[in-house]
Formats: sequence, structure tokens, C-alpha cells
Amino acid sequence: MNSDHQPVIVIVDDEDMVITSLRAFLALETDYNVHGFTDPVDASKYLETHPADVIVSDYLMPRMNGIQLLGRAKELQPEAARVLLTGHADKQSAIQAINEVGLYQYLEKPWDNQQLLLVIQSAIERTQLFRSLREKITELDSAHSNLKDVQARLLRAFL
Amino acid sequence: MSDEAAGEREREVSDLRDQLDTANRKLAEAHKMASLGRLAAGIVHEINTPVGSILSNNETVRRTIDALRTIVEEAERNNAAPARKATALLESLSSLTAVDKIACERISSVVRSLKTFARVSESDLRRVDVHELILATIKLTGAMYRRRITINTELGDLPEIECYPGLLNQVFLNLIVNAAQAIEGEGSITIRTRPEADCVHIAITDTGCGIPAALRPKIFSAGFTTKPFGEGTGIGLTITREIVVDTHGGTIDFETEDGVGTTFHVRLPINQPRRNPHHQEHA
Repeated sequence: MNSDHQPVIVIVDDEDMVITSLRAFLALETDYNVHGFTDPVDASKYLETHPADVIVSDYLMPRMNGIQLLGRAKELQPEAARVLLTGHADKQSAIQAINEVGLYQYLEKPWDNQQLLLVIQSAIERTQLFRSLREKITELDSAHSNLKDVQARLLRAFL
Repeated sequence: MSDEAAGEREREVSDLRDQLDTANRKLAEAHKMASLGRLAAGIVHEINTPVGSILSNNETVRRTIDALRTIVEEAERNNAAPARKATALLESLSSLTAVDKIACERISSVVRSLKTFARVSESDLRRVDVHELILATIKLTGAMYRRRITINTELGDLPEIECYPGLLNQVFLNLIVNAAQAIEGEGSITIRTRPEADCVHIAITDTGCGIPAALRPKIFSAGFTTKPFGEGTGIGLTITREIVVDTHGGTIDFETEDGVGTTFHVRLPINQPRRNPHHQEHA
């Protein structure tokens, strides 16, 4: 995550009212870049080409449920934190989601704005840590292969 | 057998019929409550979403007003125009109040449907608009199936019919839930109504799997179910048939084709036969 970009939050709910409420709340309290989708298929397409920090999804939606969407998001962007915000009072779906798609957090509607904000803030931090860890690993890998290269050249020079 | 003894037997039979009638009504009522219970998860979802929005908006509106107040006070102090951000905040307030209105309407419409559905005064024969009952049932089942099933209605110009509305609700609920359960994945249910000579005709068509030929003769029998334990009671269609045929003097039949779907036809008389108050009829 580059520090010069605002965190990107993707909100998916087939109810437009939820997106409007969350967008207004986050606009007031934060500078996050919020993208809302009422169709999970559109959200999934968006995630193919746009990196996100946190994906907040409803569960019961047409065409694709929240667990299917977050599963796809995990394939596309494993570091992005996945949050299920559901009105479906069904613990079974929660357990399934946690096991299958590695949820960062499971929240139920009606939600509490402050709790949601805390979840999103810590999720962003986690995503950013994951991304910087990956960058460091890539740097280490490249440094390691440089070293091996140097070592090989040294060996060739002396042997 | 003496006349007295015969009279005694007749009274006994009549008492037993009364008891059976009461037991059947209780069974129908219990089944209706069980069906409603199964819809509860969908109804909870349907209500929790707008409630979530309203609660969130309430807090956002309060904070937005605080922010606006600060901006206005600062403008007054400096004798200047309020900061540009004020316009954006006002727009946000107006969109949130619009959402709140929609959210409240959504909740009250679910509650209205529940009231229509759950009314218990079904011992009274009343003249009602069948469409009102059908639409309430669609609303409640819609909460559960809306994401995968489209419900179409082609409602004709129907006269009000004399009926037990609480019982008819259950007929529509059973048929719509069965139709939805017959559809795997996405599909549609079409409800058509039209007036006929002395009755109203309601047809409920699904794009489901159809009823296999071997099961067709059994579907109205008590205790017959193809649903997993806990999903079906095995008395839904039996009760449906009793309410339509025995209680209302109507008819129920179906057409079905494997892999294409099923249509249930319900015909309900517009008027119920005049009942002699001194001689209770037993359906």
C-alpha cells in the first residue's frame, strides 16, 4: 500500500440504502475512497483490476452470495481484508464463511457505526502490514538472488 | 334401537365431529405458525437491513449537524460565507433523510404484511379482496426467496369473496413456499387471478422441477413429504386441500411437467352457502 493513496473500501450490498448510509458515514468520519456495488458480480469484476484494502459484503444477494463473493476476492486479492455484514441471523453462514473464505470479521445488521469503523481501521492496518510484508519478502528474494549471483561469480573468479 | 338411544348416538357423533373440526383448525393454525416460523429468518433480514440504515443514519445526521453548526458559527464569527464543505454536508443530510423514509416504509410494509397474515380471527366468515391476501404472502415469502426467485403477478379484476381469510392466507403461503422449494437455483413464480362464473380462479405456476409421475397421486395425502426433516411437515398440501375444498367448497388441482414446472389451480366460490345457525354444518 502506498502511503500517498487513500485506503480503498469496497462495499457490496444489494440494498442501495445500506451503501448510502455507509458511504455518508465514512465520508464524514474518514478520507477513505469508498466504492459501493449493489451487484456482487460487478464488485467481483471491479476487484479483478482494482486493488482494495477492505471488502465489506452482505450475505444474501442475488446471483452471488456474500461468501461466494468474498471467496472470489480472496483468490484475486488475498491480502485485502474480508468483512461479512449480514442481516441474515444465521450462525451457520458465519461459520461457513470464517472457514471457507478466511473472514477478518463477521458483523450483524443492524450494525454499530463506531464498531464498524474500528473494524475497518484495523482491517486497513492489517492489509497494509501484509502488503509491506510481501514487499519486504520480494526485496529479500531479490537481494538473495543477487547475493547468489555474486557468490556464483566469486566462485567462478577464484576457482 | 329406541328413538332416545338413536338421538343420543347422533349427539355423540355430532360432538365428535365438533371435536374433530376443532382439532383440524388447531392443526391448521399450528401448521401456519410453523410455516411463519420458517420464514422468520427472511423476515428478520428484511427488517434488519432498513433498521441498520436508520440507526447508522441517525448517528451520521447528528454528527453532520454538529459539523454544520461549527461551520456556520465560524462563518458568523468571521462575518464571512460558510465554508464550501457546508453544501456537501447538506446534500448528505438530504440523501440520508430520503434513505430513512424508504427504510421506514420498508419496515412498515413488512409489519403490515405480517398483520394481514397472522390475523387470528379466522372463525369469522368475511368478504375480502383475495389480492390483499396474496400480496401479503408474496411480501413475506419474498424476504426469503427474493434473491433467487422472481415473483410475477397477473391479477385480474376480482370481486371480493366470502371466506375465512386467515385460512386462505395459509393456502397461498403453502402453495408459494412449495413453488419456491421446487425451484433449484434461479427461477420464477407467476400468480394469475381471474373471475369465473361464480368463483375466482387463482393459478400459481413455478418453473421448478415438476412433480414426478409416481408421486402425483399422493401429494394431497397427510404424512407425505419429499422435504428433508425439519423443512416439511407433510401436511401442507393436505391442509391446503381441506381449507379449499372442505371449508370453502372450492376446488384444487394441478398440472405438472418434469423439468418444466407445476401449476396449481385454486377455485374459490364468491359466496358461501347460507348456513342455518341452528344446524351447524360440518364440512
